[in-house]
Amino acid sequence: MGKLRLFVDRMSQPSRAVLIFCLANGIDLEEHLVNLAKGEHRKAEFKLINPMCQVPAMDDNGFHLFESHAMLKYLVCTYPNIKDHWYPADLRKRAQIDCILDWHHSGLRRGSAGLVMNSVIAPVMGRKLDPQAAAEAEALLKASLGKIETVWLTGNGKFLTGSLQPSIADLSLACEVMQLQLLGKAKFSDLLDSNPKVKNWLAAVERTLSPHFSQVHDIIWKAATMYENKREREARKADGTISKL
Amino acid sequence: MGKLCLFVDRISQPSRAIVIFCLANGIAMEESEVDLLKGDHKKAEYKAINPMGLVPAIDDHGFYLFESHAILRYLSSAYPDVADHWYPADVKKRAQIDCILDWHHTNLRPGSGGLTINRVAAPLLGRPLDEKAAAESEVLLKASIKRIDTLWLNKEGSFLTGNEQPSIADLSLACELMQVEFLGEEYKSELLSPHPKVKHWLDAVEKALAPHFGDVHQKLKAGALAFRK
Repeated sequence: MGKLRLFVDRMSQPSRAVLIFCLANGIDLEEHLVNLAKGEHRKAEFKLINPMCQVPAMDDNGFHLFESHAMLKYLVCTYPNIKDHWYPADLRKRAQIDCILDWHHSGLRRGSAGLVMNSVIAPVMGRKLDPQAAAEAEALLKASLGKIETVWLTGNGKFLTGSLQPSIADLSLACEVMQLQLLGKAKFSDLLDSNPKVKNWLAAVERTLSPHFSQVHDIIWKAATMYENKREREARKADGTISKL
Repeated sequence: MGKLCLFVDRISQPSRAIVIFCLANGIAMEESEVDLLKGDHKKAEYKAINPMGLVPAIDDHGFYLFESHAILRYLSSAYPDVADHWYPADVKKRAQIDCILDWHHTNLRPGSGGLTINRVAAPLLGRPLDEKAAAESEVLLKASIKRIDTLWLNKEGSFLTGNEQPSIADLSLACELMQVEFLGEEYKSELLSPHPKVKHWLDAVEKALAPHFGDVHQKLKAGALAFRK
């Protein structure tokens, strides 16, 4: 049997979630980069793997699958030795994980991805920044972080729904929150400081999935620094223009 | 033991999916209406059931759950008489159903939901119409219908991924597509005319789940008709 082939770009939050899951669980894989900034997701050869042209996607010995949550659930149920806490067999516990993952699509993800896209990375994808869309997404993001804080981090455990160990929902949501690093250190702190439980939870996910979580996020730290420097350069340029006037 | 309690408004597409699922599978339940137009979903007593203030939600003997897909998955597994085709135990078949349901959240649902709300229904919920948002949603809706046609209805069976029997993905997506009734029968026909396979599929879902599918959509049809007058 061949290795599991993952089609990912580490700049994409769901790509990172699937990758970290495999690394943390010792699943042997081949990582295929689909460079989003170069438009590789729109090429015919990738369309054969995922007709929706999105990452992540996978090829498990001829079985093609996309949508990161579906992939995570599939991997949990297919590969041996995955611990129960990732996606509990207990029906009610599992239902709560499903609930968070479903909510994620229309809550946190839409807020976070919308804000980052419309206020930072749109030009890289050949689109224009959209301040109004960014503002709407930011309101949704803030409400979503508040919901994580008050609805799912209320138990004794460190993880969502009060669990003592992380589930695929913790991983998926944590990778999404990490994308906010691209907004810059000040903005990131600002968003998390008002939700101290979310901040502790994120640190717990990172620690528990060490070193994989940090390693796979390395690309995000680098991109965040690059955007930060770019913002500073632009601010200095603007200052210079003002002082000349 | 008391019955399963559903908190729903039949005007909401995911609410209908849950009600139809229970009726079609003979799951005894009590339907508790959360009237969206009256703002019942924003009341404190309902937020104790679902802190997000959305329908549907369930109370299964003290176990509260929201998000319609999570509810459908839970009911498929928790109630023993539900046939396997609804949410197959086979890992690969189940993964394909999960994939369609996940895809739904960011495609057909915002397409259809966004269009109906922003072009016609917003005032009912106390919000202004927004034609720019409606037009964007319409583009997404049309693209999504095309995807269903070319990707998931390209095999022999009448249902998604070529199945002979409907799954929870068929039910969820069909209830969503029915929401465009708000824009009128004519609009719906026009929308589906380039995609005869999608039209056949929608008819097949309605037929397979008769009379429940038709019955549960009565409120939507009557509401849409009254609204358009």
